[in-house]
Amino acid sequence: MCDYCMKHGAGGKWYLNASHYADEIAEKYNLRDFLLEQYKNFEQISVRKVGGFNAVGLGYTLRIPIIGRIVKRIAERMLHSRRPPTNPFRAEGHIGQVVPLEDAEEILRTCAAEPIIEKNCMCRYMSRGVKEACCINFGVMSEIIDKLPRFIPEKEKYHLSREEAIERFREHNRKGYIGTIWFGPFPYINNLCSCESPECAGLRPRLDFGVMSIYKAEYLIDLEVSACRGCGDCVSRCPFGALRMDRSLGRPVVDQNRCYGCGVCRHVCPTGALFLVPRDHFPALAGSY
Amino acid sequence: MAGFVIGRGSRKRTRIAIEYGRCGDGIGVDPRECGLCLRACDPAVFLLHETLGAREEDPLDPQAWRITALWPSLCTRCGRCVAVCPEGAITVWP
Repeated sequence: MCDYCMKHGAGGKWYLNASHYADEIAEKYNLRDFLLEQYKNFEQISVRKVGGFNAVGLGYTLRIPIIGRIVKRIAERMLHSRRPPTNPFRAEGHIGQVVPLEDAEEILRTCAAEPIIEKNCMCRYMSRGVKEACCINFGVMSEIIDKLPRFIPEKEKYHLSREEAIERFREHNRKGYIGTIWFGPFPYINNLCSCESPECAGLRPRLDFGVMSIYKAEYLIDLEVSACRGCGDCVSRCPFGALRMDRSLGRPVVDQNRCYGCGVCRHVCPTGALFLVPRDHFPALAGSY
Repeated sequence: MAGFVIGRGSRKRTRIAIEYGRCGDGIGVDPRECGLCLRACDPAVFLLHETLGAREEDPLDPQAWRITALWPSLCTRCGRCVAVCPEGAITVWP
């Protein structure tokens, strides 16, 4: 269990603490205006200069000795900020975690604040120009999206009941999209995304630049060796390269250091040999999110 | 010293320029409709965004968009974006 859960989980996981989804938090920090301003200009955030810096060419900046390390530190401090948000043009307190299907269902069933909507993924839109409805939003965020035409799906019905939202999320997860839950901004949870690399603006900093923008899940994948037939379908499904076909063993091997615990590989396993175990079961990996 | 260090890094930098007279900003081709470079690029180097400081009639539904090469460090210089651009607006320097 990580630091976040200890402090904000009320004895469980932080994202299963319903108080983080409450409208009262949004009122307290005046998030209605903040989020509208932020999402009105969402695509601009990484090119807009704040304090003389923007994210253009971040990879090069991080490579510069000393300066790179300072920039990384500043970026992480901003993402992990726990102070009341002030500037909607910065991703303040915008930190997330990978969630497997079961936990996402639990979130949608018990925690998520009404109204629940599904909007066009802004990451896929800004990096590929593709409009794909797969982000599930809750509470205040849903009201904001209603005002922004480019995020509203054209074909599908986008105001969802809890059951419909669960069904939609399940569909995305089966497709191989990684479930992620986001503070946006801390301490308000309003986004349950179905992400894909390299489009996702939340996964990219971590995967490409080593900036801690997202935590690995509370789980890790494990393989029931006796049930595995060695077809290897799961290997191509893993977006993090944690599964590898071992020819001499005739079965895939799991690199648990790379595993993010998203659990999407399970959906292609014909024998159900892959299963998730809590991260704590591997003492060496217990705290490494 | 700092100049030396930064200079050393910059020698290996890929520069990607987009000519905004031909693409984006509500003047040239609308990148929201074209978007060929966005989809041709495997590492997703480009970013589609509203033009900064453009005068919008409805700020909730902006109409002036442009493309910026946001992550040039991930560029492999494969040249697919240059080949695919119908306006010839993209230039990549090693």
